[in-house]
Amino acid sequence: MVKTLLSIFIALGLLAAAAIFEEIFVDKQFDKFEAALETLDVKVRNETASRGDAESVRTLWEEEKKVLHIVIPHRDIGYVDYWLGEAVSLIETKNYDDALSKIDVLLTICEQIPETYRITFENVF
Amino acid sequence: MTAIFQKHSSRHNISLHRHTIGMGLIFLRTAIIFVVLLAIMRLMGKRQIGEMQPFELVITLLIAELACIPMADTAIPLLYGIVSMVAIFLLHQLVLLIDLKCKPIKTVIGGKPSIVINKNGIDISQLKRNHLDLSDLIESMRTAGYFSLDEVAYALYEANGQFTAMPREDAPKENKISLPVLIVENGKYDQKNLALTKTDTAFFEQILREQKVRSVRNVYVLTLDGTGKIYMQCKGEKFRSFRVRLPEGSSW
Repeated sequence: MVKTLLSIFIALGLLAAAAIFEEIFVDKQFDKFEAALETLDVKVRNETASRGDAESVRTLWEEEKKVLHIVIPHRDIGYVDYWLGEAVSLIETKNYDDALSKIDVLLTICEQIPETYRITFENVF
Repeated sequence: MTAIFQKHSSRHNISLHRHTIGMGLIFLRTAIIFVVLLAIMRLMGKRQIGEMQPFELVITLLIAELACIPMADTAIPLLYGIVSMVAIFLLHQLVLLIDLKCKPIKTVIGGKPSIVINKNGIDISQLKRNHLDLSDLIESMRTAGYFSLDEVAYALYEANGQFTAMPREDAPKENKISLPVLIVENGKYDQKNLALTKTDTAFFEQILREQKVRSVRNVYVLTLDGTGKIYMQCKGEKFRSFRVRLPEGSSW
């Protein structure tokens, strides 16, 4: 009886801790990445962005995704890689209009991935 | 999030398919599936259960699937599978606790034994409630070592689907020269068994008249064995067992 109760509390505690940690962690990682993207977005709008700026965002993402792989399906990370890769090469060729649309996609992903972790009716069902 | 992005210039027009789910969501979704699956298993009756409690069967079904998905699909973090399995463990422990502490809920979750044969014969309503028919009952009896319906005083399906029978103290010791066969099941003659026993409907219609049964439609079960012993139960009545003289050449 005591053992059963103990196992229930331990399992419940582990699940709650994992859920809370994940929500905070994913939010934090994407907030950081989103902030870097927004800075890049401003520079692209002003047509002052260089390859170095784009590469620094990519380096930041490369660092973050190492740990994100543990909690996020790898396909989702692959989509960010894809759009970021396109944005970097467009910035390199100074094609700022097209680069802007890629950064817009990335910003949307940054908003939507943490959203998918919220316990809401549409996410549960 | 198997993201399908529609390429638009405005960021608000980008559609993103959400398949990514968090651990809190995994727990909730696992719990919902568990409850729904358990309810369905209970509604399906004892026929579907086998030799497990309904919740044990549900856990067996879910665990196998949950373990396989992250194992086979490398794109899914292993943590997703682990979280859902811990959720299943938690639900299992909760059900065990309810089993021990709360009998009325235990009955709701695990069901209760169904007495399908009592002193009056077969309880048709109990069979129907568990989605079983006469042939299922006869099959269960044969598996338990009883070949005639009047050999047992009580028979029941346990909550886990197992069949248990209590033999009749006053069961006559008879020569079992051939297997009792089902002649009438739920108001209909079994033509195959009529042919097997080399009898016909006229022979049984005569017996029914002698037993003051108006129509074969009123008979729920009628079996005949090689010694001419008939077990008959009309709908809503107590069973009766009697012996008849078999027609010439009738043997099987």
